[in-house]
Amino acid sequence: MTVHRIQLTVNGIMEDLEVPGHMTLLMMLRENLALTGTKNGCEAGECGACTVLLNGEPVNSCLVLAVECDGAEVLTVEGLTENGSLDALQKAFIAQNAIQCGFCTPGMLISAYALLQRNPRPDEQEIAEVLVGNLCRCTGYARIIRAIWDAAGS
Amino acid sequence: MSDTQNIPEVVGSDMRRVDVREKASGAAIFTDDVQFGSNLLHARIKRSLHPHALIKSIDISQAQALLGVKAVVTGDDFPGKIGLYLKDRNIFARDRVRFIGDPVAGVAAETEEIAERALDLIQVEYEPLPPIFHPLDAIKPDAILIHPDLGDYEVANFIFPEPGTNISNHFKIRKGDTESAWQKCTAVVEREYYIPHIQHVPIETHVAIAEVSHSGKITLWSSSQSPFAQRDLIAKTLGVSPSSIRVISHYVGGGFGCKAGVTMEALPIVIAMKVKGHPVKLRLTREEEFFTNFVRQALVIKLKVGCDKEGNILAMENTMYWDGGASTEYGVNITRAGGYSSTGPYDIPNVKTDSYCMYTNNTVGGPYRGFGMSELHTGIEQYMDELADEIGMDKLEFRLKNVVQDGDILATGMVMHPTGIMECIRKVAEAIDWGKPGQPGAPHKKRGKGIALMWKAPAMPPNPGSSATMKLNEDGTILLGVGGQELGQGAFTVAAQLAAATLGVPFDWVRITTPVDTDYSPYEWQTVASRLTWSMGNAVMAAAQDVRRQVFEVVSEAWEENPDDLDIVDGVVISKRSEREIPLRDFCVYGIPKENFDGWIGGPIYGRGKFMPTYVTGLDKETGQGKRAVVHYTTGAQAFEVEIDCDTGKLEVIRAAAAFDVGKAINPDLVKAQMEGGLVQGLSSALFEQMVFKDGEMQNPSFVDYRIATSVDLPREIQTFIVEVPQDDGPYGARGIGEHPMVPTVAGIANAIHEAVGIRLPGPPFTAEKIFMAMKDRKG
Amino acid sequence: MIYPHPVLPEFEYIRLKTAEEAVNFLRNHPHQSHPFLGGTDCFVAVRDRKIKPEYLVDLKPLSGFNDLSFDRQRGLTIGAAVSLNRLIASPDVQTLYPLIAAAAREVGSYSLRTRATLVGNLCNASPCGDTIAPCMVYQGTAHILGSTTPKDVPLVDFFKGPGETILDCGEIVQSVHLPLPPSGARGAYLSIGRNALGDLAIAAVTVLGFTGSSAASRYQFRIALSAVGPTVIFVEQAQRLLAEGPIDERALENAADIASQSCKPIDDIRSSARYRREMVRTLTHRALQKVWADLQGKS
Repeated sequence: MTVHRIQLTVNGIMEDLEVPGHMTLLMMLRENLALTGTKNGCEAGECGACTVLLNGEPVNSCLVLAVECDGAEVLTVEGLTENGSLDALQKAFIAQNAIQCGFCTPGMLISAYALLQRNPRPDEQEIAEVLVGNLCRCTGYARIIRAIWDAAGS
Repeated sequence: MSDTQNIPEVVGSDMRRVDVREKASGAAIFTDDVQFGSNLLHARIKRSLHPHALIKSIDISQAQALLGVKAVVTGDDFPGKIGLYLKDRNIFARDRVRFIGDPVAGVAAETEEIAERALDLIQVEYEPLPPIFHPLDAIKPDAILIHPDLGDYEVANFIFPEPGTNISNHFKIRKGDTESAWQKCTAVVEREYYIPHIQHVPIETHVAIAEVSHSGKITLWSSSQSPFAQRDLIAKTLGVSPSSIRVISHYVGGGFGCKAGVTMEALPIVIAMKVKGHPVKLRLTREEEFFTNFVRQALVIKLKVGCDKEGNILAMENTMYWDGGASTEYGVNITRAGGYSSTGPYDIPNVKTDSYCMYTNNTVGGPYRGFGMSELHTGIEQYMDELADEIGMDKLEFRLKNVVQDGDILATGMVMHPTGIMECIRKVAEAIDWGKPGQPGAPHKKRGKGIALMWKAPAMPPNPGSSATMKLNEDGTILLGVGGQELGQGAFTVAAQLAAATLGVPFDWVRITTPVDTDYSPYEWQTVASRLTWSMGNAVMAAAQDVRRQVFEVVSEAWEENPDDLDIVDGVVISKRSEREIPLRDFCVYGIPKENFDGWIGGPIYGRGKFMPTYVTGLDKETGQGKRAVVHYTTGAQAFEVEIDCDTGKLEVIRAAAAFDVGKAINPDLVKAQMEGGLVQGLSSALFEQMVFKDGEMQNPSFVDYRIATSVDLPREIQTFIVEVPQDDGPYGARGIGEHPMVPTVAGIANAIHEAVGIRLPGPPFTAEKIFMAMKDRKG
Repeated sequence: MIYPHPVLPEFEYIRLKTAEEAVNFLRNHPHQSHPFLGGTDCFVAVRDRKIKPEYLVDLKPLSGFNDLSFDRQRGLTIGAAVSLNRLIASPDVQTLYPLIAAAAREVGSYSLRTRATLVGNLCNASPCGDTIAPCMVYQGTAHILGSTTPKDVPLVDFFKGPGETILDCGEIVQSVHLPLPPSGARGAYLSIGRNALGDLAIAAVTVLGFTGSSAASRYQFRIALSAVGPTVIFVEQAQRLLAEGPIDERALENAADIASQSCKPIDDIRSSARYRREMVRTLTHRALQKVWADLQGKS
């Protein structure tokens, strides 16, 4: 089994790793880097719990190979908090009580973060559509949509 | 217990959740996040491919020989039976398998992949038996017995299996005289309905890590609603003391009932016994989560309801056949709960109920948010609409006329306590402009409005206990120990509010000690039944009262005052008489020095409290009658305005309204969050969800074809209303709300569909296809 | 009962420098190797044990595979590795090939579309693939690299059946080329799934309408149905009817009826043949009404 050496930046930190070809980005983050904020919900690209930013764009990390990320920049939910300070989205989620069990939250935050990077003032319909691949079972989504809307406004 | 007059400010306030900062930053630890060392082994389970078969032989030799495999176990390694209310389960199948997915063997290996490969090397020889896939087939006199030894199983004394059949519980209500009541009815509606299996779909699948030390101590890390019940059941099965098992439960990524009791957690424990000193992790894939663990039982419900010409309901006959699946160790109580609440929230003088829990070779039915109530009300609330139509009454008025009230004698003989259900009904009806037809958004669309009620009591054994501990730190802050779990419902936050309010300290002085750890946390029966705010809340308040007593004992001695003149406000002990003050932090660990330092008074303060209801009685086996069947009922209502596109059958909810009587909303915004989330989960089960089976095999065990509501499937508007008619023994009057918000949704939407396009489907989900084809077939 | 793998099973990741090397590798390891682009279909198939490759060959870094270029004479070239999101965001696609963008928006979710590719969609050849019919309606061709000289195969000849294309072992699609659509063309892509968005299509209809002086009605339509047959179905009878004219509401209804009768839907876990047939009628009718109104200048 061939092991590939990769170098990539995760949350602003340069990492140098050796990974087998079949290891997913999700597994690499969780197991090699102990960045357990990104979650495993289905391993089939359906639930969005594993969403991270890869070179600035959101991906289902369960369907990306770690070896494909050589030279890439990855942002996970842990990277949203800077120097212990929560970012606007995280604060908005808290203020709206858009977090219950919290398992879908990292994926939601990353999808929302990517949306606001692309479009700082989305309307509610666009927000809802962007979240279609992030499943939530607890909140009923409305508060999450409102939180993103609030964060966009601020 | 509750003081509904002088309510401290923190109670009834939207305090910020105590867990959200962790969850928003990704720091929150869930069970799969716990870090283990290089001695961690990974488990995979070999599962039955047959729905019903004898196991002729299992050859594990090739699997054992695979490099990297450390242990292979089968049912031979473990004879014990396990179960909450009925011990009908083997941890690994022994002489036979009873459903597709039944665990037959387990492997622990250095990597998940090696363990997976080892499964293919395990040879199992089966002799298929005739399978049963429907409860009505299971009850036939010549049906094969799925549990021939049913008569030998240990069973709780309020569950009534019928050995020699596939009936694992038969709950009956015989109240009044339904036979003669039919004669007096002007209108009678008789219908049969089928509610299919659905699954909980927690976004976090089940995961458990078990380690057995060389000295025999067992540690289990599990995503669990029931750490203490897990410890208890596993200890009993293993024949050891609970003190030699430690269960540690971190945050749960969604439970909804599927993480209650013991299911897959026992598997890594049995495997770990073969590799002492190694933690063994088992994680269910999403596909396995769908059908190998717990699902919501399917139900055949046959209802007959009749009323007199004034619209008074006179009689109900309710026969329910629950598809319990291959094991009904938990499901038998759903049958019972469905039975004793089988009238729905109505005052009906003559009731005949037979609630059967049937073994089948389907997936294992277990607790699911609502515990039988969604399935029951899906039937009842549709028939109430039909009966109202038959008698020519407005559906709202019909319900208001018959709904249960304070003082009514319920079907079990229990006297109903005060309830705000009528206010709930009026609020939701007003919110959607009941009585005014909706204006469709386009010529090919039609609108309709529907309403549905619900009630639910916490379904528990008669004696489920809660306890709490309160440790004071040197600075006066509190470490609150509880055994209940944070599943997302906000249990930790509510506990902190009650602790702060009762003790007299600021809210942010209270920290919950997590994870729940059976070695250190106080006992809690389970986090189920919407019982924590009420039961654990009472225990938390009792612990706070215990701390107050200790505090006042110390201070009253030091000040030579009467403890009754003392109070704690914002963390400071004050005397109402002398106006002296002393902050808690000055003495709560170190005590108070006597005058001239001539000795000391006090010491570290540590409080404890408990709560257990003591008034629940048994119910007669033949009649279901008893003085007090349940602790209390939470009641509520939902109303819907839907719009149907007649060219596609697609349904959109224009307006939804929900109102529940929670007694007292300790944290109103969290109560509303439950109402919204539950409504959407109910909507999902109404419109999308169904486990599709073919010969016992689930055809859609993935998100691709098991559809759930997503962010674009929401009602345009949801309004939620909190009604507060206090519960006599709840914290400040509080009752539970966790399960209730999804119970009336399917029926409410069904009723709205009927008003819009005049059809009633024989069962959910009400997909666009089914609605469209029903309309088309009716025209043709 | 097939249980998917708990994680991806072991395989070797192969990245080569040139398309020729990639083609040779695939030919030299028949049945053991598989090419992949975004991975969104491939990895799922590997996990589900539908394919068991020892080698997965990453085509994304290869030269020519990442191009997205438009040429006023020739039309649009979409490299195999171009993601659906990149396509949707392209101004050329939005203005001249809007059906590609419309169909691509129906695929999965935004995150999935960062990785999913149009060519991957085509090569997966799922009967319910959203982007396939629009590519065919725009009369696309696939530029195929193999052991011999590259060949261009019209997409109407590319699909053999569900999950099956004419690609031989070792052949890979480098790009898809869409010629310039007829000037002033208007189109619609309508699909229906179980959820409001994000589901696989139970039925889908692609309509392109444009002025055509050779048609008696002076308009020509291309009508393609997805998810209701083993491959995309062009409703030639309805196309002829509208070319003959006259085009009025009655004609549009007739065309929709013909589409409904022409399709070959099956019963499966997602839907029934009956409902699919009915939805083909509804969606075709709605699409034709929209396109007809657009062509008339009344939207």
